[in-house]
Amino acid sequence: MMGKIIAFHSYKGGTGKTLLSINLAATYARKGKNVCLLDLDFRAPSLQARFKAEGSGYWLNDYLNGVCEIKKVLIDLSHLFSGNGNGKFLVGLANPSTEAIREMTAKDRKWEMRALGRLLSLRNSLLNDMHLDYLIFDTSPGLQYSSINAIVAADVALVVTSLDTSDIKGTQRMTSELYDLFEKKTGIVVNKVLADILSSTAGKENFSEHFHNTHNLPVLDTIPCFCDVLRAGGTCIFAEEKPEHAFAKTVERIAQKIEKL
Amino acid sequence: MVTLYKSLQGKPIRVLERIADSLNQLNEKVDVLIELQKHSRGGIAGESLTDVLDVMTLLSLPDHLRKTAITLCNLGQATAEEIAEQTTRARAVESGYLNQLVLMGYLKKERRGRKAYFYVEKEDTGEK
Ligand SMILES: Nc1ncnc2c1ncn2[C@@H]1O[C@H](COP(=O)(O)OP(=O)(O)OP(=O)(O)O)[C@@H](O)[C@H]1O
Ligand SMILES: [Mg+2]
Repeated sequence: MMGKIIAFHSYKGGTGKTLLSINLAATYARKGKNVCLLDLDFRAPSLQARFKAEGSGYWLNDYLNGVCEIKKVLIDLSHLFSGNGNGKFLVGLANPSTEAIREMTAKDRKWEMRALGRLLSLRNSLLNDMHLDYLIFDTSPGLQYSSINAIVAADVALVVTSLDTSDIKGTQRMTSELYDLFEKKTGIVVNKVLADILSSTAGKENFSEHFHNTHNLPVLDTIPCFCDVLRAGGTCIFAEEKPEHAFAKTVERIAQKIEKL
Repeated sequence: MVTLYKSLQGKPIRVLERIADSLNQLNEKVDVLIELQKHSRGGIAGESLTDVLDVMTLLSLPDHLRKTAITLCNLGQATAEEIAEQTTRARAVESGYLNQLVLMGYLKKERRGRKAYFYVEKEDTGEK
């Protein structure tokens, strides 16, 4: 079976893209799949801090600049997974230095065009040649070049939204004016929903139906705001460390629904 | 009649192939002329305008051209036939769209032997 590229994106920031991309990747790795997670949020790189990882000496920035091949960038974090039969867990980091961030925001259209070509060629180098099962992109929120590039290169786009009205409206506009034009398989994930809204099943159904009927987009899941998750501050990979936690179970359900998109 | 037959003997298929090739080339030239007229850009051949085929450009293209352009981005370089295989539209249709994108300055075209290849940029695609 051919591998799959999944991009996490959102209209507004802080909706849970990074948290979900890490945990989805971990869920796949625990199922024995070989995964690679790439930090394409060049404006606010997060994965290095989340994994407390040493860089490989090369960043994704270098790969997109045409300085090195992708293999030089990837670091192997498979050892984070304790179980037997886990798959490979590779991570590609974005350079978090202020200088690098400044440099990435000043790229011109021609550079972005080449960056798209390099993202597109990952299908060959990672999925075909290295036989990875999943490639997951974590992106910057909003209509950033790098994020749109990532969406174009992906097979599946997952948009994470809160129930904030401006977020929902923006997400709707973004999916109809951007995703639809690229004919992307798209799924919505509603995150950080207050428990009392969730407990009224009617409200939940209502919302899912609204998205489904007016935009023909499936809502993969509605995730409550978990105090445990908030407290962990992003340092705990629930899918690995607390697989019985409701959050980990939700991510597992999302993994299954992605296959049906 | 007999001599004509003899001279063709053994190579009728080649002759037909040559005719088909010539027709294809003519077709492409006609496509270009049609597109030129549609856009009344004036400047015929030689005057190569170039523009950047980035995602914002892709977004701004009409649907039918966007499909062709994205398919080419994915393949890196391709003939009209290879694009048509992916989009499941007719080869002649894709040839027209590709030539239009060349005229708009987004793609480049190069003849190699009998085939015309289209590409966004010559240089590598990251596979260093
Ligand atoms: N369901 C949830 N329950 C509790 N906390 C959550 C939940 N989802 C995300 N968070 C927390 O919200 C914060 C933001 O999450 P995260 O960094 O994943 O968002 P993001 O979309 O990647 O943000 P950015 O747009 O800045 O990249 C983190 O501290 C994360 O742990
Ligand atoms: Mg993030």
